[in-house]
Amino acid sequence: MSAYLSALMTLLQPVNFIMMYLCALVGCILGAIPGLSGGLGITLILPLTFALTKELSFAMLLGMYVGGVSGSFIAAVLVGIPGSAASIATCYDGYPMTKKGKAAKALSIGIVGSFIGTFCSIIVAMLCSGLIADIALALGPWEYFSLCIMAITMVIGLSNGSIYKGLLAAFIGLWMSFIGADSVTNQLRFTFGNTNLYGGINVICLLMGVFALQQVATSYAKGQQEMPEVDTKSLGGIGLGIKDLVENARCIIVSLLIGLGIGFLPGMGSGISNLIAYGQAKNMDKHPEKFGTGYDPGIWATEVSNNAGVGGALIPMISLGIPGDATTVLLLSAMTIHGLTAGPMFIQTNPDLAALIFLAVLISSVTIVITELATKRWFPYLLKAPYHYLFGAILMICFMGAFSSTTSMFSVYLVLGFGLLGIVMDMFGMPSTPLMLAFILGGKIESYFRMGCSYAKGDMTTFVTRPISLIFILIAVFSVVGPIISKSLKKRKAAK
Amino acid sequence: MKKINRTYVMGIVCLLLAAFIAWQTTTIPERLVSNEPGPKAFPFIAAGGIALFAILSMIFDGPKESAKGNEPYLDKAGWIRMAVIMAEVLVFCFAMQFIGFWITSMAGMFAFVWTLKGDKKINVIFAVILCVALGSICYFGFTRGFHIPLPSGSLWKSLGIKMP
Repeated sequence: MSAYLSALMTLLQPVNFIMMYLCALVGCILGAIPGLSGGLGITLILPLTFALTKELSFAMLLGMYVGGVSGSFIAAVLVGIPGSAASIATCYDGYPMTKKGKAAKALSIGIVGSFIGTFCSIIVAMLCSGLIADIALALGPWEYFSLCIMAITMVIGLSNGSIYKGLLAAFIGLWMSFIGADSVTNQLRFTFGNTNLYGGINVICLLMGVFALQQVATSYAKGQQEMPEVDTKSLGGIGLGIKDLVENARCIIVSLLIGLGIGFLPGMGSGISNLIAYGQAKNMDKHPEKFGTGYDPGIWATEVSNNAGVGGALIPMISLGIPGDATTVLLLSAMTIHGLTAGPMFIQTNPDLAALIFLAVLISSVTIVITELATKRWFPYLLKAPYHYLFGAILMICFMGAFSSTTSMFSVYLVLGFGLLGIVMDMFGMPSTPLMLAFILGGKIESYFRMGCSYAKGDMTTFVTRPISLIFILIAVFSVVGPIISKSLKKRKAAK
Repeated sequence: MKKINRTYVMGIVCLLLAAFIAWQTTTIPERLVSNEPGPKAFPFIAAGGIALFAILSMIFDGPKESAKGNEPYLDKAGWIRMAVIMAEVLVFCFAMQFIGFWITSMAGMFAFVWTLKGDKKINVIFAVILCVALGSICYFGFTRGFHIPLPSGSLWKSLGIKMP
């Protein structure tokens, strides 16, 4: 307790507090711009922290981290382009709600959902990080492999239209993830002698091409250049009541648990949890047909789960020294730079700093939610900007983001290529989300499978003989077979 | 003229892709690694999955699409608009490499605005000022403020001109 009090006093010192708040604000802005992220902000300020105290450094870095994750829903809600992979599913209901003239409500759900996710997950992390880390350690590559498969199949269940086209898109995404050096033997695959492909395809390029460029090009080609109407009367206040929270309590709790669960698994992140939580929310809702039309639970599920990943990702970082996602890799580097070793002994040897890390996230999430709620009334005015100015600027910024992600022109051409792929997929009625998720998880699926086989001395049955792994596989099978069986049963009933 | 069923076209394209992946996978040299499937296994699985679901989609989704009446994805004017915007993006990418991000961002954004406006009238002076301001803020903000390099243009380098 004294460690937390001491950390609180340190964080509330004017310089520390102001710098943490400014970083959270910058992170929020970076997160809201498609192609940029809080991770970029952390990369930028990391060298600055070399000369600063540990306390100020971590206050700034964690402020940036929380701001980046919290802000990524803004572009998804307002223009239907995800700020990062963490808010892909937010577009499904956030943007349709904006199109209905309810941008203020969609933003409110995003802001409050993000806050609930971050706040609750960090409380859980503070109370039981040791216990959760032990669970994470008990899981092996077999469970991780099965979980990844389950994640993809659950998302395919989301695809409107044909399940076969969803699976087809997932296998194309899976293949794309194998481009580059193989993670186990470092063998080059599908690089065609191009050195730019040795490290694989950058996820930002795929995101910007398949979502942003495709959307701008097809909406222009189809002549859909009208901006959604903004209901300016409802812009003030929080925009939500206790009733909204109570009505969506079940969805919020389940999404929180999914976000935490996915977040604490090493290597997994909010890019995956938001899609799984959305799928789960759709499956357990009484009105699954309303999803995709601007339905509240669709936004609650994605925003709570992707922000819950913050607390989830910090657990393995602090307790095991294993990064939970790409951004915690940078935080782990910062720890190394400051001469700290994350791992099972970290909390015992550095109780003050561990408390400071948790409290910095907590305070940043509170300052960000207050700022977002106070400034929320101005966000929808972005939609008052004419379509051609807004989307012209978005196109330019997307290419800038793609270039800055690798500082290579190759990434810029990749965005163009993936934009074409997105258009072709749209033309064929193939959903892009399974492709995206399979691409994010493909490398992990392969390396966990190969590691699992290697650890079990070539015995592949371990994937079904370990109980947790088997449960994940059964859920995966049911997610694919279930909708097909239910469709045929409905057809039979209708025929009778 | 009989309209093309897009699902069948997609199926054929995906089957060709699967064949290409499978052929490319056979060319991957395999190092002897015990107790694990090696680097070829998953690409083969991906190729197999693509082929399988392309066929299933043609069998189950193809007839449904034919029954629906096969509405065209875009009309002729739509295809022209699509070609124009994609050509602009292509020129934007090349220009970014050769004349650098600063000039390209300003000129490119103006071109995007001009194209996306369609039949609407815009204030050209305002559009120019906006594009110059936003392009400059992005370029100098990134290169000077954050020290993140953006393309400065190979043309200027070859001419010995130093761009800001």
